[in-house]
Amino acid sequence: MIKKNTNKILSGSARIKKVSFLGRLSTTIQQHTEQFFSSFMELWKTPFSTLMTILVLGLALSLPSIFQVAYKNIERVNGQWDSASEVSLFLDKGLSQQRVQVLINKLGLYEDIETVTYITSHQALEEFKAMSGFSKALDYLSENPLPGVLVVVPTEKAKNSAGSKLLVAKLQREADIDFVKVDSDWIEKLQAILSLVVDMVFAVAVLLLMAVLLIVSNTIRLNILNQRAEIEVLKLVGATNSFIQRPFLYIGAWYGLLGGGIALLLTFSMVQWLQSGVANLVGLYQSQFNILMLNLEEAIILVGLSTFLGFIAAYISVKQYLVKIEPK
Amino acid sequence: MILFEDVSKVYPEDYIALNQVNFHLKQGEMAFLTGHSGSGKSTLLRLISLMERPTTGRIILDGNDLSHIKGNDIPYLRRHIGMIFQEHRLLMNRTVLDNVGLPLLIEGYSRYEIKRRSLAALDKVGLSGKEESFPIHLSGGEQQRVGIARAIINQPPLLLADEPTGNLDPKLSLEILDLFKSLNEYGMSVLIATHDLGLIAKMRYRTLTIKEGEMINDGLLRQRND
Repeated sequence: MIKKNTNKILSGSARIKKVSFLGRLSTTIQQHTEQFFSSFMELWKTPFSTLMTILVLGLALSLPSIFQVAYKNIERVNGQWDSASEVSLFLDKGLSQQRVQVLINKLGLYEDIETVTYITSHQALEEFKAMSGFSKALDYLSENPLPGVLVVVPTEKAKNSAGSKLLVAKLQREADIDFVKVDSDWIEKLQAILSLVVDMVFAVAVLLLMAVLLIVSNTIRLNILNQRAEIEVLKLVGATNSFIQRPFLYIGAWYGLLGGGIALLLTFSMVQWLQSGVANLVGLYQSQFNILMLNLEEAIILVGLSTFLGFIAAYISVKQYLVKIEPK
Repeated sequence: MILFEDVSKVYPEDYIALNQVNFHLKQGEMAFLTGHSGSGKSTLLRLISLMERPTTGRIILDGNDLSHIKGNDIPYLRRHIGMIFQEHRLLMNRTVLDNVGLPLLIEGYSRYEIKRRSLAALDKVGLSGKEESFPIHLSGGEQQRVGIARAIINQPPLLLADEPTGNLDPKLSLEILDLFKSLNEYGMSVLIATHDLGLIAKMRYRTLTIKEGEMINDGLLRQRND
């Protein structure tokens, strides 16, 4: 081992003294810091190609990021539609207040019912007037055509498909109830579609991340080949592979970091662009909805993951090409 | 310092670059290695600097058998050999100071120490004041001296020079050789590959002659220590 035989090799020279461990550690930290920043400057020696590479990375990374935003917001909407898993019980017309109270008390004893809310026919009419915009026309009606409604919220256990079907069957057998309405079917379908979309998005995201890996890896490969002469000189004067590969690893990480930043910017711009359109659309249904952007944690994960991918891609290239370059 | 024992190097298609070469370069000795182009001079230097491995035979460098050196140890060994090339092999995008300080940077010396020693090395080769220049702006002789400064900055026990005066005029060639002579006087072993017999004659050092891969003459003409 040459490292262990240093003194033997040095025996014939008045060689300068060896660097102490602490001195070496301090210089290594200093070298890492310098190489970290100099590798960033190195990127901009070829600004056009660097910019193109970063933009391509940004575009590739923005797609999974936008998918995540879309999924997150659809999930949120889905959550809001949880109220649709309420069961509406339309009562027989002319049912007395006492009978209604008896029914409410009876339903309150059900184990699979969380809450029961009574909406009188009068309240229902007022609500309909307010929401439909036909308030004046409805004034001409001689009597209120709407029945009273009991809004039943099942317990969490009874919200699943089997539980809600059982509850609905029980409610349909109750006297004084004219009609039982539950909207859980289409929610289940939507959830199944959402689940499929999530799987597809995941597959696409994996493919795009692999594309990022290949792009950075190829860029670093070209960098290595372009600097072949310099690498040979460094090896001739005693540089180890780890010393030579360090700037390339940093460059890979920089590509990932900047690509992640661009992806974040693109996602943010896309959300801003869609925000007003969605607001207009939702406004037509007299509702409000703001698209949620990636939160801080998600943004850090995106940028961190892209930086890590850049580093790994550079590492693959370095192991593949740099170690094979030997001085001639 | 260097011991060659029956060293042969055979390239693919059975091209014999070196055939059963034997010689011993002592510690602190300076010698010329001469022969026509393609005789095997460069191959011999490449074997010492571990750019190639011998096909057969043993090369001992200061007690280390180079045939058994592991790949990971090669960089550490090269740090103890100063190498000078005909084509200089400088980094054109770095200043003279950065080029000269490269071996110390690799070894982990501080910026201050690197600068201090690089300036001293440049002074030794007569290039004071050129530290901030880029190699491209220097003449061939100056570039060669930058290469020498880089090779000697960490005071290696052995200096190998491959046609160091190949692109230089006679006056500059003598200056460069005088520099080698003074380095040798400091205790550095020096092996210079050259085909310039006129230059060798002027210096009167031991001369190893290679022809078609074989050592045909080991002329201990007039060694400095004799």
